Amino acid sequence: MRKIFITVFLSLTLTTPAFAELKVVATLPWISSLAKEIGKDKVSVTTLIKPNQDPHVVEAKPSMILAGRKADIIIYNGLDLEIGYLPLILESSKNPKIVPGKPGNCDCSHFVKAIEKLGAVDRSMGDVHPLGNPHYHYSPANILRVAEGMSNTLAGLDRANAEYYRANFRSFAERLKERQKKWSAIPLKGKKFVAYHKLFEYLAGEFGFQLVGYVEAKPGIPPSAGHVEALIESMKANKPDGIVTTSFYGRKESESISAKTGVRLIILPGDIGGMKGTDDWFSFMDTVLASLK
Amino acid sequence: MKLVPILLGIVTFCALTVSAFGQDTPERLNALEDAIKTQSRTIEEQQRTIDAMKEEMGKQKEEEPLQKSQEESPFSSKVSGFFGGSVLTNPNISLLMDTFVYTSNLSNSELANRGIPGFTTLGKDARNGFNMGAAEDGAELFIFAPVDPYFNLYANIPFSDEGVALEEIFAVTTSLPEGFQVKGGKFKSNFSRLDAQHPHQWDFFDIALPYRAFVGNEGLGGEKGAQLTWLPALPVYTLFCAEVLQGENGLLFGADARSGPHAFSFFVKSSFETSDNSTLYFGPSVLFGKTRNGNIVPDTDFDGSSSLYGMEAVWKWKPSKMQGLILQSEYLYLTQHGNLTDLTAATVESLRRRQDGFYFQGIYQWYRWRFAARYDMLELFADTFKRDGAQQELGETPWRATASIEFNPSEFTRIRLQYNHDRSGRDGRSNDEGILQFIFGIGAHAAHTF
Ligand SMILES: [Zn+2]
Repeated sequence: MRKIFITVFLSLTLTTPAFAELKVVATLPWISSLAKEIGKDKVSVTTLIKPNQDPHVVEAKPSMILAGRKADIIIYNGLDLEIGYLPLILESSKNPKIVPGKPGNCDCSHFVKAIEKLGAVDRSMGDVHPLGNPHYHYSPANILRVAEGMSNTLAGLDRANAEYYRANFRSFAERLKERQKKWSAIPLKGKKFVAYHKLFEYLAGEFGFQLVGYVEAKPGIPPSAGHVEALIESMKANKPDGIVTTSFYGRKESESISAKTGVRLIILPGDIGGMKGTDDWFSFMDTVLASLK
Repeated sequence: MKLVPILLGIVTFCALTVSAFGQDTPERLNALEDAIKTQSRTIEEQQRTIDAMKEEMGKQKEEEPLQKSQEESPFSSKVSGFFGGSVLTNPNISLLMDTFVYTSNLSNSELANRGIPGFTTLGKDARNGFNMGAAEDGAELFIFAPVDPYFNLYANIPFSDEGVALEEIFAVTTSLPEGFQVKGGKFKSNFSRLDAQHPHQWDFFDIALPYRAFVGNEGLGGEKGAQLTWLPALPVYTLFCAEVLQGENGLLFGADARSGPHAFSFFVKSSFETSDNSTLYFGPSVLFGKTRNGNIVPDTDFDGSSSLYGMEAVWKWKPSKMQGLILQSEYLYLTQHGNLTDLTAATVESLRRRQDGFYFQGIYQWYRWRFAARYDMLELFADTFKRDGAQQELGETPWRATASIEFNPSEFTRIRLQYNHDRSGRDGRSNDEGILQFIFGIGAHAAHTF
């Protein structure tokens, strides 16, 4: 009898808020894609940044503020990547659910093991990322952690569907495990690449290749002619396996360096949807790793 | 721990089943319990594999560390990433330096006395040669931080040769529901577009002519008061706002007006995307109140009331980070009536004004360069300026044309070269100005408003 009473009571209190979709705002396409993997039909996701936009230089638009106003949760990359616009969105959207410290404010970098945390920095070093390299969406190890963290966050916010989110995460993890087998077979160990910006350090660490030089001497600052010349000379001498960048970041400069050195130009998608056939994170990583082969 | 929510969920479902069939309940519950147990065992197993995966993938990374990532300082763990990185006890601070070299065909005394007849007696701040600050503020200190979960505090303290001013200090609520927000303290009014911008944020060295004519060289400036804004969850971005201000601006209002807070504003700002890469932003505003100051007509005091109506529109096109275009225009319309006391003759006459002004500007950005042009004009449609009922002959229509080139080596440095052909003096003489301006910012990263 008591059992029945408890179950009826629970059914009344727990099932009521379960009907409305959770309104998720994601800053970047990969976050949005992951939120859809975890939330599926229980969430509706708005993405602020387009796949081919440089996430370092984004301006807050009123449409983003309006999206923030309507959000139940905002999920972002963190590590200061959104520093130029997210604080303004959080301040202007007048939505107490998504301000820092609330469960509706989800900084994915909290789930991540960040690399390249910098100690003493100042802006003479360019637009550095002092809290660590924020481009961890190329990192399967960290994406697994983010997906788990995201599923727990969504579960905490929408308790009625908690197990749904966790189950979706487990199926995501299963698929990741399968893919990881395929990916680790791709022979990237020992390869040497030159990159435009420090975008691929996680990838290098996890797949065992090396980044031997950067076109940007200082992040966010266009390289000097002297630096580019020296890089070209060393590339001619050392023959790296490719010069790597994304479509929106230093493509022209990389093309010209590739032409001058004969080193292969590799354009990687900067985010999910940045190139054809990269509609979810798995196909995105497939494309990234296949391009580096 | 993970079991609890699962159990609750399934038990809930079970409750529905129970109410539907109402029999064999204990058996069904027991069967379900068993099912849950097996399910949770599978889940636990899955979790173990995931944990193992994380372990393994993490290890891989450590085995092959990146080329010397700079040593991790113990300090870096204390930095909070969000508002630009600082320890909890320190607010975010930024400091700006604003300096320029100025040259004009007019002498310094002519500049100081060059008002706009029929609008303002206040002259130009700049002097030939080296100057500190577009609004005489060579340095500006910004401080901001959350106070607690309910308020944020912002302060803007400009420094000039003459001293320090408390231009702005205000608290803003962060946890009101339904899109409401209250701001209180001393702040720059958000009526119109340029008013809330600080001099270093202006798209040109100087503020647009209608602002200079109606509210002064720096806009309305910091006003004591309170602001209520409301952003409803509509399909289109629409912000509603009302302000109650003390009304101390020396041109549109005046510190010695007879009643307490005597300036009020209402405005709406709306915005929508005109394409994938472009946005339109626009809105009407009104600012009205009691006016009492001596800056409208030379050697007089004015006592009356004023209403300033405004319309702003901005269109931004940003197809990539390499280039962009911003077109912007504002129209301001003033009605003012009251008594004008001649300070030398001690006579009183009536003053009635209906005057307007507008500016249009375009800025094209190409990589780190910005090319800008602006045209300002006063008395576009309305030029009523009646003393004792008689329209005054004030001279030629005031206008100004501006061109500027900016180079922004980084987000924190701005170098601007600007030329003005200024015919706002109404005396048939032009003020041809050349300005080379440098702005540097250090400290916390302030986000740019749209
Ligand atoms: Zn970066």
